[in-house]
Amino acid sequence: MNNELTMPACAIPGTPLAAESAGINACVHCGFCLQACPTYIALGDENDSPRGRIYLMRALMEGELAVDDPAVHTHIDRCLGCRACETACPSGVPYGALLEATRATLSEVKRPPLRARFILALFARRRVMRIAVGAARLLRSTGLPKVLSRLPGDLGFAFAMLASSESPLARARAHAHGGSSAGYDARGDGSRGTFALLRGCVMEGLFTRANRATERTLVANDYRALAAPDQHCCGALHAHAGDLDMARTLARRNIAAFEKSGAEYVVTNAAGCGALLKEYGHLLANDAEWSARAADLSARARDVSELLAAAGPRVGAPLDYRVTYDAPCHLQHAQRITAAPLRVLDAIPGLERVALADADQCCGSAGIYNLLEPALSAAVLAPKIAHIELTGAALVATGNPGCLMQIGAGLQRAGHSARTIHPVELLDASYEAQARAEP
Amino acid sequence: MSTAAVQERVRKHVVPAGFECATAAAPLRIVGSGTWLDAGRPVHDAETLSVAGDDADDAIVEYVASDLTLTARAGATLASIARVTGAEGQWLALDPFGSAGGTLGATIATGSTGPLAHAFGTPRDNVLGLEAVTGTGEIVRAGGRVVKNVAGFDLTRLFTGAWGTLAVITEATVRLRARPERDETIALALPSGDALDAWLAKLRALPFSPLALELLNAALATALGLGDRPILLARLGGNDDSVREQLRVFSVLGEMHPAPHATWRSLAEIEPAGAAVARVSAPPSRLHALWARLANGGDSSLVHAAVERGIVRCIHSASVDDSAVSIAQWLERIAHTDGTHIFERLPAREWSRVPARVNDPLSRAVRGAFDPHRILNRGILGDVA
Amino acid sequence: MLARSSELATYSSDGLPGYRLRPRLAVFPTTKQQLIDVVRLLAREHCPFVARGAGTGLSAGALASGDAVVIGLNRLNRILRIDPANRLAVVEPGAVNVTLTRAAGAHGLHYAPDPSSQTACTIGGNVAENSGGPHCLKYGVTLNHVAALEVILASGEIVALGNADGEADGYDLLGAFIGSEGCFGIALEVTVKLTPNPQGVRTLLADFMSIDAGARATSAIIAAGILPAALEMMDGPTIRAVEASIYAAGYPADADAVLLIELDGLDAGLDADVRLVEKHCLAAGARTVRIAANEDERARLWQGRKKAFGAMGRIAPDLVVQDAVIPRTKLPEVLRAIAAIAARWQIQVCNVFHAGDGNLHPNIGYDSRNADESRRVGMAMRDIMRACIDAGGTITGEHGIGLDKLEYMPQIFSPESLAAQCALRDAFDPERRANPGKVVPVHSCREWRGA
Repeated sequence: MNNELTMPACAIPGTPLAAESAGINACVHCGFCLQACPTYIALGDENDSPRGRIYLMRALMEGELAVDDPAVHTHIDRCLGCRACETACPSGVPYGALLEATRATLSEVKRPPLRARFILALFARRRVMRIAVGAARLLRSTGLPKVLSRLPGDLGFAFAMLASSESPLARARAHAHGGSSAGYDARGDGSRGTFALLRGCVMEGLFTRANRATERTLVANDYRALAAPDQHCCGALHAHAGDLDMARTLARRNIAAFEKSGAEYVVTNAAGCGALLKEYGHLLANDAEWSARAADLSARARDVSELLAAAGPRVGAPLDYRVTYDAPCHLQHAQRITAAPLRVLDAIPGLERVALADADQCCGSAGIYNLLEPALSAAVLAPKIAHIELTGAALVATGNPGCLMQIGAGLQRAGHSARTIHPVELLDASYEAQARAEP
Repeated sequence: MSTAAVQERVRKHVVPAGFECATAAAPLRIVGSGTWLDAGRPVHDAETLSVAGDDADDAIVEYVASDLTLTARAGATLASIARVTGAEGQWLALDPFGSAGGTLGATIATGSTGPLAHAFGTPRDNVLGLEAVTGTGEIVRAGGRVVKNVAGFDLTRLFTGAWGTLAVITEATVRLRARPERDETIALALPSGDALDAWLAKLRALPFSPLALELLNAALATALGLGDRPILLARLGGNDDSVREQLRVFSVLGEMHPAPHATWRSLAEIEPAGAAVARVSAPPSRLHALWARLANGGDSSLVHAAVERGIVRCIHSASVDDSAVSIAQWLERIAHTDGTHIFERLPAREWSRVPARVNDPLSRAVRGAFDPHRILNRGILGDVA
Repeated sequence: MLARSSELATYSSDGLPGYRLRPRLAVFPTTKQQLIDVVRLLAREHCPFVARGAGTGLSAGALASGDAVVIGLNRLNRILRIDPANRLAVVEPGAVNVTLTRAAGAHGLHYAPDPSSQTACTIGGNVAENSGGPHCLKYGVTLNHVAALEVILASGEIVALGNADGEADGYDLLGAFIGSEGCFGIALEVTVKLTPNPQGVRTLLADFMSIDAGARATSAIIAAGILPAALEMMDGPTIRAVEASIYAAGYPADADAVLLIELDGLDAGLDADVRLVEKHCLAAGARTVRIAANEDERARLWQGRKKAFGAMGRIAPDLVVQDAVIPRTKLPEVLRAIAAIAARWQIQVCNVFHAGDGNLHPNIGYDSRNADESRRVGMAMRDIMRACIDAGGTITGEHGIGLDKLEYMPQIFSPESLAAQCALRDAFDPERRANPGKVVPVHSCREWRGA
């Protein structure tokens, strides 16, 4: 009988993966994660499941597989990093950390594809990124992307993503208020503490309205805004792709920037960014100079919905929409935030909130995954779109730019009229309506 | 009879190795207390092997009341088991039709059930383990004495209901139940005609499970002294609060009367010796159609049906009423009723019309594995060499 | 189809730690016809095969070695029909247990067998293992909930077992097939019975300051004739592992045992039974007996129980789980014996199990890098099994024999009984190609017919 009760030594000492061996050992391969995994459900191969990927990681550690084994790369690349498996895992396997460490280890022998390297490089350079996003915004304003979204394949999908990033409320509001969409003057007493907003590369560029909504709703709920002008990209995309060095560099810059702001809370409205902010402590755990500061920042990081829920939030004026909520993976699984976004929506009277089946399943966006693995991403997206259709909702609220664009593009390409929106933007619209009603 | 004695008898009939002619050995007819011998096809030219004969008290091998399990020799009668367990407020929830003098071994071997199967299932759901002697004379133990067991391939299920054609059951361990605090029997008048279908659907959707739910046709109700109309006989069990609520629910369903508890025993023993008995079953949602065809045949056949299980049981007996339809007509009607047909008892000459039950290749392979010489109850399931 | 050695590694284990066997190939049919074609091709080539569902089994039963090909059934996961009027559903073998229960929920029905892995495990796997679960105490195991099967034998022949349209007749080949651990063939379609959701449910948590007291309460409840829907026990180490996990259920962390007891049925009679259970628990020494106030609390109490096995992963890097059944009256005695065995071998045993059935699950956490500890764990496992057998028990209540329990089979079955089991397998699969080497030790399968 092949009853192995003892385990061999590590074959890849000194690699990022080797440092995570305790996490791998926590897996008892019970298989409870299988049905939580979007790629397993889509592909039906355990190599594309969390348990299977952990086997591959273990095989790397034990030297059974080489780090250049193509099968390892294929299945690790295919992981969305949605971390739904962490929610399903009774053993507490830190899958997200294992995945990042594995990708970092693998990237030492095989560089990520050109497309990924290009995007990551773009995100790491603040000025270039601003120009790129500015150009995208300009393109969006022409209305061209909406037309071009009908193009077949990846290109059409990319245009659909861009087109769907436009706020569904913008046009309606501009129409109602004679072309003005200047918002309103948010007032609060600042008693709940200070915050600085991590503006986010994509959020600030394409979802400007959501960022302003974040600031206004927090102020309206008695938080006080402080500026953190030196901030950078959070580094989440780099970490997910295994470029841990760049992620650390960006993390250090951000830690310094937010320390300088003096804010009690570092707030983000992008679930993916928030998840990494909360993991800066782990990311820089072995950095003597930065580890304490990183842990401190992680402790102060909040998703906007957390702060709003803690404050109530204040109830606004009625909005007449049928809305469904889709949980971003990095909010639900990585940050374990489930109730707060619903509290935000429930502060809006008149809003008809309908439940979305499998709202806890990934939409397939997963950072830049939809650009790297478009076919699989589309396969994961398809059931999401079908479930949304069943709700009959006009708006799909979700708090992450990738999900907003992925689901938005999916709806647009499938010919559905439903649009995506950040929950905070809805609350903001509710407050705005109230401000207009009671000048 | 001891297991060793059974083994010795079987071994005498086993053809020596290399002796290919299966007919060389006289088959054995396995017998319990002999009360149900007219069930199944006739076994010809067989010597009788009786597993009964133990003193009633010795027949109970082990009874651990707190475990709700009992191990008994195959020859233990259901009546003796009921007596022993009843003293502890427990019962073996199997009430096969026929005399209470029937044995545990025969009940299991024939897979016989009664009205309680509604709540407690059939022998396969209640047998935990068996000891048996196969047709090659090997003593085999299957299952165990615990209530949950997946160790090894399930010979317990295989031997249960195999009519002794694979092995002679010598001992069995069964699951017992606590007797419910209250055990009430009521009779309800059946709605007539088309209303029955919807009414039966209501019964299937009850928010509780009665111990038994049997429809009785008018002839049977009459024979049992429960009026002269078709009725539903329901047996309700549970604690006081529960039974009171169950009675309330039933009282809404129709005109309800209490019925004597002994009715169930009378029902089990209603069929006269020599009666032909057949069961027709279908998915429960089709029960009303079966019932309409079989229960109101315009003759004196006694018919009853298990509501939840979708089984209609028809008892034909010339002796019940001289105006009865002929057995041929009765068989004809049953054969032309859509469903699964199982014949319990028939006049010997009629069996030829009934297709055999175990002539598919897999069943024959199984028979070949356990009784290659076809010594045990040869022909009782219509098996052919 | 997977042939790359690196990708087959994933299929070299199931849910049971400690075994790795690499299959020759793995194939994943997506239609019934493909599955039939694969089995027939393998029949022509006389090639052994192993059917695999979700690989959550705990007896190394879904592992294939040598020439054997893994047939993954996880893509055949459709629910083909639900017949609410007759409470039946027809599913493909790879349909996930909880998916069926969710689908049936629309009709006020559910699929009763609920193994702890129900969120992942497949109905086909449940059929192969005759799976139980906490609620099988009242509702029965898979055997009691399958009406019919369409099966492909190793020879490629397709047979129908059981009867969903009425009474079953002839040999109970359906009963023989259920729990045959993939050695008799592969289910193509499974017709299961669905169970109405109970009108009322009461979930109780009783906590005790000793395992003994919890065991006595269990025996008392069963002996009193109460049939709870479920009666589960967790000991102190298990409670603390669960409470440390994300599934913290609110079990009192200082207790040495808790009983999770569920009563269901007609609302009217439930409270009387609750009082009776409470009385027996308190009489046996329970500190408190708490009743879940709402569905959320009930779900939380259950979540802790269902995820307990995985939560053990937090205690130690490696884990072995045992599965034995003893007569319920022997619970206090055997649990004491297990504690003594743990002390003798200086290991930690976590007991989390179906107390109402007497179905024990001692879990032993250890570190496989420690050779001495690994050896002691092995010895303790054998001693625990011996104690259960000596108490009149059996070696598996729901996990199956697979590879893991083979060595114990001769301890509970005579050579003749094992040979008879082999003979039954040979009737289904004379070439012994379906899941070879499992369930019955090969040496027991002597030539039986010539006896």
